[in-house]
Amino acid sequence: MSDPLLVAEGIHKTYHMGRVNLHVLRGCDMQVQPGEFVAIMGKSGSGKSTLLHILGALDVPQEGQVRFGGAPIFAPPRRRWFYATALDVCSAYERRRIQFRRFAFGFVFQSYHLLPELNVLENVRLARMVGTSTLAWPGRRHDACSDAAAILEHVGLGARLKHRPSELSGGERQRVAIARALVHHPKILFADEPTGNLDAQAGADLMSLLKELHGSGQTIVMVTHDPGIATQADRTLLLRDGRLGPA
Amino acid sequence: MYKLFLTLRYLRKRRIAYFAIAAVMLCTAMVLIVMSVMGGFLDQLKNKARGMLGDIIVDNRSYSGFPLYEAFIGDVSAWPEIVRATPVIYSFGLLNFQGTPRTHTVRVVGLNLDEVCEITEFRKGLYYETYYPGTTHLGEQKQPLLGFDLRGELIEWRDPTGRLIGHGPRPLLPPDYQAALEESWAAGLVDGDLPESDLTHTCRAAKLPLIPGEHELVTGAGPPEMAGDAYPGLIIGRDIIAQRQPDGSYKRSWQYPRGCLLTVTLLPVSESGSVDIPIKQPLRYADDSRTGIYEIDSQHVYCGFGLLQKLLQMGTAERVDPETGEVIGTIPARCSQIQIKIRPDADPYALARRLEEHYQSFLEDPRFELRPDDIALITNVDAMTWEQSQAHIIGPVEKERILMTILFAIISLVAALLVLCILYMIVLQKTRDIGIIKSIGGSSGGVALIFVFYGAAVGIVGSLLGVVLGYYFVTYINEIQTFLMSVNPAWQVWDRAVYSFDEIPNSVRTEDMVVVILAAIIVSTIGSLAAAWRAGGMQPVEALRYE
Repeated sequence: MSDPLLVAEGIHKTYHMGRVNLHVLRGCDMQVQPGEFVAIMGKSGSGKSTLLHILGALDVPQEGQVRFGGAPIFAPPRRRWFYATALDVCSAYERRRIQFRRFAFGFVFQSYHLLPELNVLENVRLARMVGTSTLAWPGRRHDACSDAAAILEHVGLGARLKHRPSELSGGERQRVAIARALVHHPKILFADEPTGNLDAQAGADLMSLLKELHGSGQTIVMVTHDPGIATQADRTLLLRDGRLGPA
Repeated sequence: MYKLFLTLRYLRKRRIAYFAIAAVMLCTAMVLIVMSVMGGFLDQLKNKARGMLGDIIVDNRSYSGFPLYEAFIGDVSAWPEIVRATPVIYSFGLLNFQGTPRTHTVRVVGLNLDEVCEITEFRKGLYYETYYPGTTHLGEQKQPLLGFDLRGELIEWRDPTGRLIGHGPRPLLPPDYQAALEESWAAGLVDGDLPESDLTHTCRAAKLPLIPGEHELVTGAGPPEMAGDAYPGLIIGRDIIAQRQPDGSYKRSWQYPRGCLLTVTLLPVSESGSVDIPIKQPLRYADDSRTGIYEIDSQHVYCGFGLLQKLLQMGTAERVDPETGEVIGTIPARCSQIQIKIRPDADPYALARRLEEHYQSFLEDPRFELRPDDIALITNVDAMTWEQSQAHIIGPVEKERILMTILFAIISLVAALLVLCILYMIVLQKTRDIGIIKSIGGSSGGVALIFVFYGAAVGIVGSLLGVVLGYYFVTYINEIQTFLMSVNPAWQVWDRAVYSFDEIPNSVRTEDMVVVILAAIIVSTIGSLAAAWRAGGMQPVEALRYE
C-alpha cells in the first residue's frame, strides 16, 4: 500500500454558541489513499461538513492535525489562528494553508457557490487567477482560458461559457462548480453534499461525472447523507457521536 | 490578479456603488470650484497689485516723505539690474468738480506719467489714452470741445429712437484728438459701453465709428476747438468719475466731459511734520484710470510729480535760521516713494536689501549735509518687493482661500463616510462571495485588498468625473450666472457693481486638479478600510453558510 495522501489525526472541533459548547468532532482519525474515492456519511448535524472543511483547510480544529503528503496543514495547537484577520498572511502556517486551498484542494458545495456577477467561464477561470500576480497574468491568461474552456467542455457545458449562473439549471451550476474545483488540477476534490440540491436524474448524472473523474485517478472525499450515493464510493465512513468509523 | 478583476467587476455590476461615486464626484467638484474661484481671486488680486507697482518699492511710510531721492535714483540707475526708477508722492486732498457740489476725499498721487507707465501697467488702465493714444498727459492743457466738420458733407442726425432729427455736419474733435481717434478706429478699437445718445445714433446711422467718452460741445455748432484756460491735467480713479453697472460696464456722465475743470485742495506738510495752510489747485480732467482694485480706483487721483511736490512744498528750498532769518543751507527735495523696475533675471529680494543698504549709506555719505529731520526721515526708509508691500492685501485673501478650502474639504469627508457605509453594505451583501473566494485560495489580505481597491476605484472614477464637472462649471461659471440672472434677476450672486473684478474667476489650475484627485482617492481608500478589514476577517466557513 502506498503512503496515504491525506491523514487526519485526533481531530477535535468545538463550537461555542453562547453558554453552550457544542463538541462536534471528538477525535476523528482517517486516511485517504491517492486515487481513492471516500464517502463520509452521517446524520444531519453530525459534523460531516465540519470535518470536510477541516480536511480541506477551510476550518481550523482545536486539537489534532491533518497531514497532506506527510506535511502538516495546521500550525501546532498553541500557534493556531482560529479567527481570520486581514493580516493572516503574516503567519507562515496560514500562508501554507492558503496555498493548499489554492493549489492542492478543490471544493464542490451543495449550494454551488458560484459568483453571480461572473459568467461560467469567468467563474472557472477565477480559480486560476487566484495565486497569479497581475504582472504574470497576461502571460498565463491564454492557458487559463483554454484549460477552463476544456474542462467546461468535459463536464458538458462547452456551449454555456458566456452564461451567467442565474441562467443555468441546478445540475449545470454544480457542473460549473466541479469544473472550477478541477481547473487547477487539485490533488483532492472535496465534495460537500454535491447532489443535495439536485433532482434524481441530475444527481445521477453528477455522480456519473464524479465516478468518471475518479476513474481517471482523481482522489475524491465526499460528504453525503444519502446511502445510495455513498455506495458509489470506494469506501464509506460513518460519522457518529463525533467519531469516524466504518459504515 | 483576481483582486483587480473582481474590483472592476463589482464596480460595474454593483449599482449601489454609483451613489458612492456620485458623492465623491460632487465633493470633488465642490472643492475644485472653491479652490479655483478663490485661487482665481487671489491671482487676479496679485495681477492687479503687480500691474500698478514696480518690482521694488522704496518707502518710509511717512506723510512727510524722504529726501535725497534724486541722488539715490541717480546712483541706482547706473546699476545693471535696474531698468528704471521713478519718484512718487502720496498725499491726501479734497476733489471738487467745478460747478457742482460734489466733493470727494481722495488720495493724491504725484507721478511722472511716462516713467510710471514704463515701470508699471498704469497706461493700460487709462480710458482716453486707449481710444485717443498719445493725448493723455499731466501738463497744462485746455479743454477739447467737440465741434463739426463744416467743410464736409452733411449727414443725417437721429435721436436714440432712430427718428430723423435733421441734417447736419459730421462731428469732429480738435486735430490732435481727431488724429488720435482715427488711429484707434484704424486699430479697430471700439468702446462697447457707450450709452445711447443722439451722437452715437447719428454716428451709427451715418456708418461712422463711435466717439468714445464724453466731450463738451462747442457753442453755436462751430468747428472743434481747445477752450478755456490751460491748467495741469489730473487723472481720476474711474470709480470716482463713472458709475459701475451690474454688467461690469461703466456709465459716464455728460456732466463730466473730458477736460472739465476740477479743484484739488491739499494740506502741505513740512519736513518737520507740521501742517501748513490748505492750498487749492484747479486742474483739468485729463483721463481716468482703472487698476481693477476698488480701493484704489475709488480713492486715487493722479497729477504731475513736479506740481504736487511744489504744492506740498516738498521741493528744494532754502533752509533759514528761524532766529536770525539767515539762509543757512538747502532743504533737499522729498518724495514719498520710489518705484523701481528691475531686469527679469534679477533677484528682487537680494536687490531690495542692497537698495535699502545703499539708501542707508547716505547717512554716512560726505556728499550730503544732513540735519536731524533729514536723518529721521532717511532712517525709516526701507525697500521691499511688490509682494512684500502688498502683503497686507494679499495675505488675508490667501488665508481666506486656505480656510475655505479646508472647510469644504471637511464637508467632503461626508463622501468618505458614504464610501464607508456603502462598501460595508456591499461586504455584507457579498459575504458568501468572500467565502467562495477564500475557499478557492484567496487570502484574507487579498479579500481585504479587493475592497481597498474598490474604495480607491470609487475615488478614481468619482474624482475624475468630479474634476470634469468642476472644470466645466468653473469654465462656464459666468455663463451659468448669466443664465440664472435671465431666469430670475434675484439669483445674481456676482454683482459687478460691487466687486472690483469684471468676471468670476473661471480658470482651473492643473495643480489644483491633481491635488483634488489625489485627495479624493486617498479619502475614498481610507473610507474603504473598515469594510476591507471586515471582509478580510470573515471566516470562510461562516461566510459560505451566510444567508
